[in-house]
Amino acid sequence: MLKYTIRRLLLLIPTMFFVAVIVFFLAHAAPGSPFDAKSVGDKQLPTATIERLENLYGVNKPVPEQFMLYLGNVARFDFGNSFRSGRAVSEIIGEEFPVSAQLGVQALLLALALSLPLGMVSALRQNTAVDYGSLFFATVGTTIPSFVIAIFAIYFFGVTFHLLPFVGWSTPLHWVLPTVILSLGPMAFLTRITRASMLEAIRQDYVRTARAKGLREQVVIVAHVMKNALIPIATIVGPATAGLITGSIIIEGIFSVPGMGREFLRSILGRDYPLIMGVFLLYAFLISIANLSVDLVYGLLDPRIKVSK
Amino acid sequence: MATVTAPRQQTAAERAAELNVLVRKQRSLWQDAWYRLVRNRAAVLGMVIVVAFMALAAIVPFMTQWGWLKDPLKQDTPNSLMEPIWTGSKYTLSTYPLGSDQLGRDILSRLIWSTQISMLVGFVPVTIIFLMGVTIGLVAGYYGGWTDQLLMRLTDVIYAFPDLLFLFIIMATLRNTAIGDLQGGLLLIFVAIAIVNWVGMARLVRGQVLALKEREFVEAARAIGAPARRIMSRHLFPNILAPVIVSVAFSIPTAMLAEATLSFFGIGIKPPTPSWGVMINEGFVVFSTSAWPVLLPALCISIVMLAFTFLGDGVRDALDPRMKI
Repeated sequence: MLKYTIRRLLLLIPTMFFVAVIVFFLAHAAPGSPFDAKSVGDKQLPTATIERLENLYGVNKPVPEQFMLYLGNVARFDFGNSFRSGRAVSEIIGEEFPVSAQLGVQALLLALALSLPLGMVSALRQNTAVDYGSLFFATVGTTIPSFVIAIFAIYFFGVTFHLLPFVGWSTPLHWVLPTVILSLGPMAFLTRITRASMLEAIRQDYVRTARAKGLREQVVIVAHVMKNALIPIATIVGPATAGLITGSIIIEGIFSVPGMGREFLRSILGRDYPLIMGVFLLYAFLISIANLSVDLVYGLLDPRIKVSK
Repeated sequence: MATVTAPRQQTAAERAAELNVLVRKQRSLWQDAWYRLVRNRAAVLGMVIVVAFMALAAIVPFMTQWGWLKDPLKQDTPNSLMEPIWTGSKYTLSTYPLGSDQLGRDILSRLIWSTQISMLVGFVPVTIIFLMGVTIGLVAGYYGGWTDQLLMRLTDVIYAFPDLLFLFIIMATLRNTAIGDLQGGLLLIFVAIAIVNWVGMARLVRGQVLALKEREFVEAARAIGAPARRIMSRHLFPNILAPVIVSVAFSIPTAMLAEATLSFFGIGIKPPTPSWGVMINEGFVVFSTSAWPVLLPALCISIVMLAFTFLGDGVRDALDPRMKI
């Protein structure tokens, strides 16, 4: 187990390296300079100024050379300075990551808190109104894109009835809409998985045995059905985390939440290379860690599965 | 010299007549699947909506040509931000049944023109994904070796990226290049979506091939000397088709959603070409005062997404009745 964990952690290095290569060269593939009017979204700077800026940030060097320099700096945990604000990328991310993390964790907890009971109840009451209702919710929630739901939510709760604020992140009231809408996708997905995996577990022989030996229904459900049904659910939390990360970019963009997602959007539009790289590497790292921890948890939960490959 | 002909094989119907028994009419696996699909009410509803949108996308140029629809690009600023006629407000005009946007362009016409973009984005990249994914997946799965190694390493890297992030980067950096300008950015969107998604398809096909290639019918084909190309096209391909079709059915709405999301953030289709995402993006500025230019395209996206999901669920259940989630 320990060997496996270490091996997987070491495999992260080449993966992150390739992510860095691809993003770096892709970002630099765009024609023109990051200090053009088109990128700055402002008036055209004098040619001399652009030249000076390009020299300062080294963006007029050949791209492979820039990449080597960047790698050298990253190895010393120096992620460079943002072109736009001149502040250190690590400082910007350090400021914004907690906001995104809070949004993501709140959404994940909300999704889990509602989807697990909903999925379980709908499996135990299969083919009743509760079941159909939760299936309908699960279909709509996984199908309708979050930015469309966000638009309808802003329209009803914000514009028409003035119940909730929908710009920024300043008070707990501001947290409500972004968190709820971000959680809807994973919530619907988890409800579907919970229901399916409960239904699967209910039909197993060991459940019939448990009933046959006269255990109370609650004990059968909690100790036999739920315990086994939770295994597939645990594996979904990894992809759900990845979904939350991409989802948070969209949600932060719409609700102007001052987090990493909004920064990512701004940086790619403004061609702020150091910031693009920093944010992207952090995202890729988080997703890889989420996938890795799911594999490990899976091995712990289900002794039938050996992770020693 | 007398030629030897093999006796013609009896059909099931002939055999039944000979034995004087009744048999059920023979149906192929695909016919079975089709019957299961059309018995599924939600799937049929989805299919009807999808076909209707496809028909609209096909005839919309003629509708404009014949004068049934206004020009989607024509601006009429004195009549901007009209509301749909059913709202009964004083800012309505009977010539703008669904109202107009802030430049006075007809929303009905723009909505219908957008179906064309959506359908193209739904079907063109998915065709590329299908062709690339199936070919590479078959070769990688059947031969193994370096193709397989390369494919698997590539998937490792691609899986560390969330699709949308990758799409954002590609679109943001390449949309101001020559390829980004072709067809209002449509071509770049096709390419970007195909690049991000073909790997998943290839991996699916590879997995299926790995499971199938040890089976007896493949071994039998190899034993009678069928060349690899024939085994892949005649024996493996038809047998992996079911999961591939299911995956294609779900890739179509995913691709459409990607376009809508990119356009909503201003890095997809280039204005003034109408697309639902572009319309939401442009209308968002005035959203708190007049919501219809945003709500209507949002509604269209929801309807199309639901229709494709119903259809996709139906196709999945029809092709594999055991697989249920």
